[in-house]
Amino acid sequence: MSRPGFVLEVDDRTPPLIVHEGLGFRLESFPLGTRVVYPPESIPTVPDVEEAIRDALLHPHDCEPLPELLRPGMRLTIAFDDLSLPLPTMRAPDIRGRIIEQVLTMAAEAGVDDVQLIAANALHRRMTAAELKHIVGERVFRSFYPQGQLYNFDAEDRDNLAHLGTTDKGEDVEISKRAAESDLLVYVNVNLVAMDGGHKSVGIGLASYTSLRHHHNAKTMVQSRSFMDHKHSEMHHSAWRMGRLIKEHVKVFQIETTLDNNVFPKPYDFLMKREWEWSVKDQASMLAMRRGLAVAPAKLRHKMFHDLRGAYGLTGVNAGEVEAVHERTLEKVHQQHLVEVQGQSDVLVMGVPYLGPYNVGSSMNPILATCMGLGYYFNSYRGQPVVRKGGAVILYHPLNEGFNQLHHPSYVDFYEEVLAESTDPAVVGAKYEQQFAEDPWYIHLYRTSHAYHGVHPFYMWYWAAHAMDHVDEVIWVGADRRVASRLGFRAASTLADALEMASGTVGTSPSITYLHNPPHLLADVR
Amino acid sequence: MASVADRLSGRHVLLTGVTGFVGEALLQLLLAEVPGVRVTVLVRPKGSTSAASRTAALLGKPIFAPVVESAGGVEALMAARVGVLEGDLADVPPLPAGLDAVVHCAGDVSFDPPVDEGFRTNVVGTRDLIRRIQEVDPEHRVHYVHISTAYVAGRRRGSIPEGAVEHDVDLEAELAWGLAQRTEIEHRSRGTDVLEPERRKAEKAHSRAGLLTAASATEAARKDWVKAELVRVGTERARSLGWTDCYTFTKALGERVVEAHGATARVSIVRPSIIESALVKPHPGWIEGFKMAEPLILAYGRGELPEFPAAADTIVDIVPVDHVVAAIVAVLAHPPEAGAPAYFHVSSGDRNPLTFRQLYGNVRAYFDEHPFVAGDRGAARLPDWRFPGAQSVERLLVTSERAHKVADYVIGRTPRSDRARDLARKLDQQGRRLQFLRRYLDLYHEYAQAELRFSDAHTLALHQSLSVEDRERFAFDTAVVDWEHYLREVHCPAVTAPVRRMDEARRARKRNADLGLRPLEPRSASAEPDRPRAERAWSVGTEGVGSEATSTPLPSAAAFFDMDGTLLSSNVIETYLWLRLREQTGSERFTELGRMAARLPGLVRAERRERSAFLRSVYREYAGARLDELEAVADAHLTDHVLARLSPDAVRRIREHRAAGHHTVLITGAIRPLTRPLAPLFDHVEAAELAVDERGVCTGHLASSPLVGESRAAWMRQYAAAHGIDLAASYGYADSHSDLPLLEAVGRPVAVRPDVPLFRHARQHRWTIVDWSSSTASTRTLNPAGDAR
Repeated sequence: MSRPGFVLEVDDRTPPLIVHEGLGFRLESFPLGTRVVYPPESIPTVPDVEEAIRDALLHPHDCEPLPELLRPGMRLTIAFDDLSLPLPTMRAPDIRGRIIEQVLTMAAEAGVDDVQLIAANALHRRMTAAELKHIVGERVFRSFYPQGQLYNFDAEDRDNLAHLGTTDKGEDVEISKRAAESDLLVYVNVNLVAMDGGHKSVGIGLASYTSLRHHHNAKTMVQSRSFMDHKHSEMHHSAWRMGRLIKEHVKVFQIETTLDNNVFPKPYDFLMKREWEWSVKDQASMLAMRRGLAVAPAKLRHKMFHDLRGAYGLTGVNAGEVEAVHERTLEKVHQQHLVEVQGQSDVLVMGVPYLGPYNVGSSMNPILATCMGLGYYFNSYRGQPVVRKGGAVILYHPLNEGFNQLHHPSYVDFYEEVLAESTDPAVVGAKYEQQFAEDPWYIHLYRTSHAYHGVHPFYMWYWAAHAMDHVDEVIWVGADRRVASRLGFRAASTLADALEMASGTVGTSPSITYLHNPPHLLADVR
Repeated sequence: MASVADRLSGRHVLLTGVTGFVGEALLQLLLAEVPGVRVTVLVRPKGSTSAASRTAALLGKPIFAPVVESAGGVEALMAARVGVLEGDLADVPPLPAGLDAVVHCAGDVSFDPPVDEGFRTNVVGTRDLIRRIQEVDPEHRVHYVHISTAYVAGRRRGSIPEGAVEHDVDLEAELAWGLAQRTEIEHRSRGTDVLEPERRKAEKAHSRAGLLTAASATEAARKDWVKAELVRVGTERARSLGWTDCYTFTKALGERVVEAHGATARVSIVRPSIIESALVKPHPGWIEGFKMAEPLILAYGRGELPEFPAAADTIVDIVPVDHVVAAIVAVLAHPPEAGAPAYFHVSSGDRNPLTFRQLYGNVRAYFDEHPFVAGDRGAARLPDWRFPGAQSVERLLVTSERAHKVADYVIGRTPRSDRARDLARKLDQQGRRLQFLRRYLDLYHEYAQAELRFSDAHTLALHQSLSVEDRERFAFDTAVVDWEHYLREVHCPAVTAPVRRMDEARRARKRNADLGLRPLEPRSASAEPDRPRAERAWSVGTEGVGSEATSTPLPSAAAFFDMDGTLLSSNVIETYLWLRLREQTGSERFTELGRMAARLPGLVRAERRERSAFLRSVYREYAGARLDELEAVADAHLTDHVLARLSPDAVRRIREHRAAGHHTVLITGAIRPLTRPLAPLFDHVEAAELAVDERGVCTGHLASSPLVGESRAAWMRQYAAAHGIDLAASYGYADSHSDLPLLEAVGRPVAVRPDVPLFRHARQHRWTIVDWSSSTASTRTLNPAGDAR
């Protein structure tokens, strides 16, 4: 039986604790009394994955079993989450591939021959053939990719988008034409965290900028408290409105999966254990890794981390009507991630790891690091933020990885030109978002190369809007000072210095909470 | 006893050389202190400026202000007292009648003039002037005052009397020889002995840019050789006859011409030593331009003169300019008898000697008190002179020069990097200092050694013969100069003032300077009112060249970009491997890599020699590949390779150019498939085309010569003409010395992370240098698809 998450209070017997910082980690001694939030250990997985999938497809929620929805001559579209999920990338075989295989088998049995597979990458970069192959599996890839029936969604291909109308709040709904005009749209997701899935799958994953701009903006994002709690997230409300509109046009058969917390494979599994429980072997691995990282060049460290594959186990799979499925999915996600935390603190400490949704196989540039820390980790709460209004956030990341010119060309210009002028999400959005979104060169790169859409860095910045609005002070430990200041933050060399710097805001003996993730956790702040 | 002013009252004096330092001071003194004298100045027109307006400009200078004011303006002064005779010493015009005296202070003041110029100004000029005097003065009434130099004594030692220099040089023979040298040396410079080594050197340095670039470098080197050779033969001839250099030699011969005239006419010869800033008049420290000691004083103050090849007790014979001109006026007022030329030394060494140690001590004391603070690093460190003697200074210099040469050789062959560029910059600075030292030490070596004492008994006697008031008004007793006061309070402040002003201006400029490129103004909105701003600004020009030209007015400017090294960090070998390795299995790849590695030294040599040969030999490797397959591989995989290496700054700049309405052009020696990912950024892409046979298989040859070096410039000119582009308003961006023709063809060249030779060229020509780095991120492995997924 796995142990639930818990909150440790640092006392004089607490060893130094792991804090992730980019392509590495450090052991930090926290001040006495610091609360450390540990995620629950991995919950039990399903005994037989293939059986569980089959069962879900045959016994969906609020919906007919999949075989009953399939008939010859129909147009079937299977959409699936892109490589931004899960993190890190799952060891082969990917769960999405296993589900798609079964769906395709049922479709074949029913005589369906018009099938297309679309990666729901929205404005994310096009995946390479190898990346697609990893997700859908060798067999599916071989059968569909060469014929052009397995492809990345292109949000700038005007001819292949369908405008389905507007919601009661006047929000445009524009998604993939093929998906919208299918007789059945099967969506295969990986619900890694509570934010994913539900109407966000089709309504965002297959949508164009026209549609996305209604909820991906500073105003909406600042009102999403938090993203990890769709009932209190303006962004999700918008996506839900759109999802309900989509439902009127196309039958969506949603398949959602939940994973356990086994993010680090052996021998790196010590990163998921509680430090005082490290065996001799764990300690040896830890030491070896630290020594290795200390001498390895950046390129090698990058390869070392980015070659890690998560040893995830499947904790649940649900299929059927979107909202009914998502409710059950969230139950599982909460079971895996939720930790009860009593009250807010003055200071929130978080280590930004090497990987976020947008730098798979790429570099964690300063904008992505900000998004990861202030967007994802800060928003990992339910109820109220872990840090009080007007408190301070301390983040660990060197901010020195630079930009990947292939994947993030518009990020460079965003950093050099937009952030140089203002770091206020609302201001930069109003002034520059449209220009970047409509820039033909970025669109060209998005469509033909492997670049994130021109507008994507703005979204990253909006993710952080709620945190920037909520706290008074953001300090990066161990970061490049020039970069931190360009982002509008400050840099400190140690935690002690950071606390010293924050003392003007939170006093000299603030209450501190450290979120010990990854693995993922969701703080349920009472 | 009549005063000087009385003696000169009503006289008409012709002055030459008034635009020079001494002439100007003399004119000022005559106008200010000798109210009755009328002068005519012989002035050369300069360009479109007439002699009269040059004279008017001269009289507009601050030192003339009191005289001009009392005369009621420049024009009034000129009408009343200053006549202008337009003409040149190279072709002396007829002189006005009624002259009473002529003061000839024009002459070449440079110590190392080309030999023909030395003879022309100092001998021929003097002779022509005297002939013109003889024309208007058959009775030998005109008093001719010749300003020479004390150093006509040449390499003699000890006390020098005020009299004719003893020598028996054949004036006519030397003159004929000297004047013929220009033709002679120009002739010799065209011989193979001179040209061949220069051409080889130039071709070695510039062959990558092209043969015409090398040719123009050869021609420039030949001209430099002529100049240096003219100086060298002059100095050599002078030394062979006992003079220090061509200057003193020709000055001495000039005196011979004067003495011949003096056999029947009234002639005075005034020989000042080293003339420096004014002691009292027109104001203390007045000086025009830099004379002999200033460059050394300034260099010392900057900490760049580590030693001096003089003995500590050698005398530096300095006289203030106001003493010199006062002596000239006194001489002018006391003409000698015809047939008995009078000689006057205006010097300080005999009665009030200043040694090098004193000079050094005072200059040092001045700079200790008022250091130069040129850069932002505080005051320069002042060297301590120990006067080790000429030999060891020479040794030090020779050692430094050798070290510099070695370092220069090494740095010229270092792969490009920030460090190499920084080293090159420092090395060049060091080189300039060494060059300066070499020039000045060579020049002054002789003077620093000269143990000469110029007797000034005649001058002193003349001074003492003046009335008390005149001694005050026309002070030229050099014994009164207090060297400590003169150097510390008068001379050094005067010569450093303009430098300090310049440093200040430079600092201000540096503060305001925007480092790097100036941003471009986007084309004004009114140009195309119907297109939304963003679209216009960043329009992707996939439509090619022709269509845009028809829809919008022709662009006036263009931006030409080189690809490899400028826009992205890659080269043809790397891209070749990328293309070929895609199609191969593991072991084939290994073999291919090994084969290329073995070829590498040869390729590097070829690259150094000639870029087009290098490209051809790399493209030979494509033989047997199918072009359509190459293109497919390029589209599928090289897009990532190219885009990942693309410098974001470069892309931003290209887009800025488009926003500004400029034509953007990519010129590269790379093959066309490699440029495809960048095509949308450019209006035109000029790349190498692989030749294919009828089956579509590459022959390993190119369809046409690769566009490198000079052919780029030629192509650009032709392209510009066809598209109505103004090259002078256009931009060029390139990274290597071989791209020099590309950069030189446009009006606004920009060196991007340049190699050392281009870096040097760019600095020399004040081109913009930018540092566009491209990403070195971890995507740069040999498998772009990633291996684990």
